[in-house]
Amino acid sequence: MNSGMWQALSPLLALSGGTVVLMLQIAFHRNPRWSVAITQLSLLLGAGLLLWLWPGSDYQSLLLRVDGYALLLNLLFILAAAVTCWLSPAYIALRSEQSGEFFLLLLLATIGAMILAQAVHVASLLLGLELLGVALYALIAYPDRSLLPLEAAVKYLVLSGAASATLLFGFALAYAGTGQLAFTGLSESLALAGSGAYTLVMAASVMIICGLAFKLSLVPFHMWTPDVYQGAPSPVTGFLATVSKGAVFAVFLRAFLETGAYQFPIILNSLAAIAVASMLVGNLLALRQDNVKRLLAYSSIAHMGYLLIVLLVCSDPANHDLAVEAALFYLVAYTVTTLAAFAVLTWPGYEQYQGPEHTELKHLSGLLWHHPLAGLLMLVAMLSLAGIPLTAGFVGKFYLFSAAVTGPHWLLLGSLVVGSGIGIYYYLRVVYYLLRRDDNHALLPNAGWHESCLAVVLLAAVLGLGIAPQSLIGWIQSIL
Amino acid sequence: MLVTLLLVLLGGGLLCLALDRFRPEAARLVSLLTLVVAALILASLAPLGPASAGPGNAWLAYVQMPWIPRFGISIELGLDGLSFLLLVLTLALGFIAVSASWTEISFRPGLFQANLLWTLAGVVGVFLALDLFLFFVFWEIMLVPMYLLIAVWGHEARAHAAYKFFIFTQVSGLLMLLAILVLAWTARTTGQALSFSYFDLLGQAPTGQLGMAIMLGFFIAFAVKLPAFGVHTWLPDAHTQAPTAGSVLLAGILLKTGAYGLIRFVLPLFPESSLAFAPIALGLGVAGILYGAVLAFAQDDFKRLVAYSSVSHMGFVLLGLYAFNALAQRGAVVQLVAHGISTAALFMMAGALQQRLHTRDMRKMGGLWQQAPRMGACALFFAMASLGLPGLGNFVAEFMVLAGLFAEHPITAALAALGLVTAAIYSLSLIQRAFQGPDNDQAKIDDFGPRELTTMAVMAAALLWLGLYPQPVLDLARIAPPLSLSGLSP
Amino acid sequence: MSSEAALWPFIVYFLAVLALVATMLGLSWLLGQRRANQATNLPFESGVLSVGTPQIHFAVEFYLIAIFFVIFDLETVFIFAWAVAFFELGWEGFLAVGLFIFILTIALIYEWRSGALDWGQKTRTGWKPER
Repeated sequence: MNSGMWQALSPLLALSGGTVVLMLQIAFHRNPRWSVAITQLSLLLGAGLLLWLWPGSDYQSLLLRVDGYALLLNLLFILAAAVTCWLSPAYIALRSEQSGEFFLLLLLATIGAMILAQAVHVASLLLGLELLGVALYALIAYPDRSLLPLEAAVKYLVLSGAASATLLFGFALAYAGTGQLAFTGLSESLALAGSGAYTLVMAASVMIICGLAFKLSLVPFHMWTPDVYQGAPSPVTGFLATVSKGAVFAVFLRAFLETGAYQFPIILNSLAAIAVASMLVGNLLALRQDNVKRLLAYSSIAHMGYLLIVLLVCSDPANHDLAVEAALFYLVAYTVTTLAAFAVLTWPGYEQYQGPEHTELKHLSGLLWHHPLAGLLMLVAMLSLAGIPLTAGFVGKFYLFSAAVTGPHWLLLGSLVVGSGIGIYYYLRVVYYLLRRDDNHALLPNAGWHESCLAVVLLAAVLGLGIAPQSLIGWIQSIL
Repeated sequence: MLVTLLLVLLGGGLLCLALDRFRPEAARLVSLLTLVVAALILASLAPLGPASAGPGNAWLAYVQMPWIPRFGISIELGLDGLSFLLLVLTLALGFIAVSASWTEISFRPGLFQANLLWTLAGVVGVFLALDLFLFFVFWEIMLVPMYLLIAVWGHEARAHAAYKFFIFTQVSGLLMLLAILVLAWTARTTGQALSFSYFDLLGQAPTGQLGMAIMLGFFIAFAVKLPAFGVHTWLPDAHTQAPTAGSVLLAGILLKTGAYGLIRFVLPLFPESSLAFAPIALGLGVAGILYGAVLAFAQDDFKRLVAYSSVSHMGFVLLGLYAFNALAQRGAVVQLVAHGISTAALFMMAGALQQRLHTRDMRKMGGLWQQAPRMGACALFFAMASLGLPGLGNFVAEFMVLAGLFAEHPITAALAALGLVTAAIYSLSLIQRAFQGPDNDQAKIDDFGPRELTTMAVMAAALLWLGLYPQPVLDLARIAPPLSLSGLSP
Repeated sequence: MSSEAALWPFIVYFLAVLALVATMLGLSWLLGQRRANQATNLPFESGVLSVGTPQIHFAVEFYLIAIFFVIFDLETVFIFAWAVAFFELGWEGFLAVGLFIFILTIALIYEWRSGALDWGQKTRTGWKPER
């Protein structure tokens, strides 16, 4: 126990302390405003500590590693949690008798995600994954006045539990084959194990990939995604789509690199197949969706497929840095954009008490004319997801393109082009609805300063990352 | 100066947007003023006197500043004779578009003018960008305001047309992005930073299959925009459904960006692959000319007819460029200008008719000459220009293309010359059905007012000048030697 | 490789289980008689006819108690692990377990105050209906 450790773990401790304080506050003085304030304060404190650690920290213990990679992602998760926390109070207050615990769960899920980004050991991976997962089940089911969230939560609980079990079994097999649980240890024994443990290790890899692919909703483990996205309350969906997936991808990438799994062609080939299938299936299924949340669910499947390209590129040591850089930039861009989209989808929920959320395409009709700021945010978010220049999404996609060109991985590039091409159609559909000139009565409450502030910030982030990406790129390069 | 030009257009758009809330009518004035300022900036860069026409002074203006150093991307803009010529066309058609939308647009006019200016800014960027990444950014981003113009202010089937337009151009754009990246990566010497600069990539294209594949990536993107035969199907829909100003911009300028891309990038960057590909490109050109002409003749919709005639005319551009003959290539440049003006005028005519009659269907027109002789005269003039009447710009262009082509590929030239005959058929049928014949019981319609008449007169004068004294344009097209046109001649 | 050799008993055991289950099910299917009486599909309750619907609502408190048991019973697992290595861990271990128990206490306070331990009508402290 030295000071280096306390420093490195201080952001995690700050958030954990926040949860304890929050619990006491809820126990003695139940007041949503206070809960929000405590949550935001501990997130702020966590972010501050992260920046204080920046960028020299490289603390390594058996379970966790706090390096630049983890710091950047942790900061991203904290900011995403702060946005979710900013969006939620008005939404949750109408849909649940009490909203204090919502923020408690939000903090816990954020801690889980942060641990995932730092994990270098199977145990910390599972710890983070379950902390994130269990908190998410409850967050999804939080609105106690409608059935859809409940259905979504049960679906997610059962399937996610099965995925975790598969993952655990995979780790057990890996342990049986190599006798190691730390990522680096696994890589050493993989090198030594030779052909004897090959079968076991391959079986283990398949199970681990299945488990993680489920959490990332990659094809063919994507079935839960649309239902859970649709059923979960919109702010939680935004959190699930960004933080949960980002964290799992972060640990996937780290495990993939540090265990040396990329040496096995069979793993690379199966990942390539999953990536291609995700890009195509996700985009094709999104074509016929009339609910924006389901549409975004399928689009997220495709986007995770795009991200898998990074894994295949980084198997070549010469391109490793470019690939990790691409992954980080893409995650940041995707997070910002997706949060923007879900922020707009959350707003109608502020005034409507029961029943399903108003997230059908027709509810967005003419949004740009009735609520210019919300409409503009949605428009920019869709363009960014479609990868139109001058948005964050385009630079992310450009990164993926240039990463894949280094191979060159023609199959992946081809699917990326085809997938993006299909994607443009359904993102444009949303844009077209935003632009419709019918006299649809306004479904949104008039945006107050609270929403307007967030909208302006998100808008600036999406466009800023697209127009002047160099500062973020420089940041990422400095920590790798 | 070049950056200022872009910023003026962007800023003017923002100002229009801001005015949309308070004084929507003022927006069109602001838009006009912005264009005047932009034109003045451009005029200050004009190549004056024969001195600047020397081969040593190819670039009239050039700026470079870093943008994304990680990938060696910079904001690199350059103006040469060809760019200048096309910028003049762009701004001129910008004025015409503003004039065409003066009274037509009633829904959010400020936003409309903003999108108009942003489209122009995107096109100006395309004509100036020398960094391939920057070029791609402008290439894609100009579509967004254009999409909005069609999707918000378009006619009855605007949704379909806007989707088709956007998806065609975006998907082909993705191929181009891929091609740009592959080119930059193969051109990179190991250990060196990546560069997307036009000058760094010149002469670096790989040969053989890979070179051909990269060239095709560019070619497809430009062919979709041109449009070449086979990938032209977005064009009739988009042109027909767009508001008048949108059609003017689409036909007048956006199509020219495709041709510009071929001249600026495909031919100089991939000389060998282009030469090998020339027979197919020529075939596409001839097919476009004949197919466009035949379909134009079969249309009942005024705008659709003009749209298909664009497919036909742009076929000449493709022929001119891939003839690999200096005369034909310069003819293609003249065709860009002449077609831009004549088609813009015809679309404006269509817009004026639609505003008065609320239809574009020529079966419901007829006999309009009696009521609106000034309109009829203008329509006749531009139809004549379109069919290639000697003395007007289009004739000069098509004659040069055919003459140049005949020296290289006589049979192709003979086939392409059929296009002149068919052009006469559909152009005259247009006049006959819309303006002559029995009066179809139309209510009294207003003839052209002073605003419309002035616009038409300016365009007519430009075409006449181009037809009678095309030398200045030819000079301009020639003063970019080291990098664009001279590099084309084998 | 030894790890695979060590796995053999496990695999044999796994296969044996499969074989046993298959035999039992297969034999009863082969040897047993098949009837389709009214009583065939009734649940077997040692001869007693079942009464009423199986979908009875249990009071949610039962689940809460069960969960509490799981939570507060599991804590002993951790404390036990600490107790085994008490001397090796020294004060650091003591502090860590102290923190652990402290957090558990707060959780208990939270549950108590939010009425999770009350049986019957829930009363939530400090909560006022909004709007």
